[in-house]
Amino acid sequence: MNTMKHALFNVLAAGLATLLTAATALPQQSFSTTYDSSREVKLQGVVTRVDWVNPNAFLFIDVRDASGTVANWAVEFGNPLELERDGWKANAVHIGDQVSVDGVAARGEMRQAYAKSVILTKTGKRLFTPAARKAAAPAAPAPRWPDGQVRMGPPAGKKGYWGTASTRVIVDNAAGKVAMSPDGLLLNLADLDKVAPFQPWAKALFEHRQRTFLKDDPLGRCLPAGGPRQFQMPNGFQFVEQKELGRILVLLGGGDRNWRVIYTDGRQQGTAAEQVPSYYGNSVGHWEKDTLVVDSVGYNEKFWLSGNGLPSTEALHVVERFMRTDMNTLKYEVTIDDPRTYTRPWTAVWTMQWVPDQDIQEYFCEDNAESTFIR
Amino acid sequence: MIKTVRIFGILVCLGIAAAAIAQEGHPLTGTWSGDWGPTLSQRNHLTLVMSWDGKNVSGVLNPGDNAVQIPSILLDVTNWTVRIETDTKDASGKAVHITAEGKLDDIGSYHRKLTGSWTQGTTKGDFKLTRD
Repeated sequence: MNTMKHALFNVLAAGLATLLTAATALPQQSFSTTYDSSREVKLQGVVTRVDWVNPNAFLFIDVRDASGTVANWAVEFGNPLELERDGWKANAVHIGDQVSVDGVAARGEMRQAYAKSVILTKTGKRLFTPAARKAAAPAAPAPRWPDGQVRMGPPAGKKGYWGTASTRVIVDNAAGKVAMSPDGLLLNLADLDKVAPFQPWAKALFEHRQRTFLKDDPLGRCLPAGGPRQFQMPNGFQFVEQKELGRILVLLGGGDRNWRVIYTDGRQQGTAAEQVPSYYGNSVGHWEKDTLVVDSVGYNEKFWLSGNGLPSTEALHVVERFMRTDMNTLKYEVTIDDPRTYTRPWTAVWTMQWVPDQDIQEYFCEDNAESTFIR
Repeated sequence: MIKTVRIFGILVCLGIAAAAIAQEGHPLTGTWSGDWGPTLSQRNHLTLVMSWDGKNVSGVLNPGDNAVQIPSILLDVTNWTVRIETDTKDASGKAVHITAEGKLDDIGSYHRKLTGSWTQGTTKGDFKLTRD
């Protein structure tokens, strides 16, 4: 009987753990989903906890209001990897320290804020500010292999990877400048038609995602950033060129240590219908002088093309052109051809900057403070 | 026996978790299940598989030996309403017309819903479908 009870307990425990994992995996929500930029908040309180975890670091502070009532607030203040790059550590602040926070409040009734500044009361020191950037030196030419071909990774004997993209959203080049927040919310919904040449259903769905502040972004459920969005993630990526194997691996830092293969062995691309649909598709590449041209089909429908909520279907065909214009700059041009979603093929362009002398740091999309203090 | 129960329980829970996978393309694409009927107690199971080819949404109602093909399903994206019209046969082989009009809800959800009125022959009722 005891054995049976134990077995039932195991079943319930395993099931509950599985369900909780699925239910609480919401750590990569966009800024606009979580915060209301129009609601500024000033907080003074005592630090009760410091969560230095990916992708967002949090302080928890006890704040006393005018009536003397104490409430605990969660204060998000940045990405730990970026903060460490700027020289900050978790021990810059300690439990028991008094701090002042200027920030933006979360949507709804949650006691949560995004800090624009955190000041340590006893010293007046401002914490977690970005390091002053050195003026950029003229970049060296793009490194090359002995056969003269441009290297997409580090020069021989060096380290480095491709870091922050110049934008986190995708917009049709033909549109010119479209005003939107950094995470892709249009400042004027009348600009919907400029973003991409939508079919009617795709425009309506895109508008719905915009009007709901991007809250259904699959990235928020820790799903991979498929398609071109893989090159807009905060933790960068790396090319590993395996010339002898006729392929290039793309190691992605912005998901769960995901990777993608680009075959450069001369094989022919198949049709979308022949592929098992996936987040990164089936990719074949070739060189046109110094440009790596990659053709991909076979995508699933489980991702957004970019953070602003662009949809796609399994008919998606992507052509990417990678141009390393100098040591530090990678120009990325992507042509989206999905006749089930868009009325014509369209192109977007952005750049990535080289992060020298470092490897991609470990990053996993996982439960963190954001999902543990929900109340 | 105990091991079987344990494995079954874990698989059920994993199945529930695995079902929470997004479909971010055309909102109607996929397999939907639910029922229709004239009253709360008189219900008929429905499975509806819809697909979008870039110009037209088509469907298959209750796939299998008695499947009903639906050549065209109309989606009005201004209010996310759906109109389904097709013909089937009843048990005696007599032709029966089906008309359904519904509204799509929770379109951002992987378990979005389609609900509305269902008329099959002379029987009027309601229907509820959830995307699997």
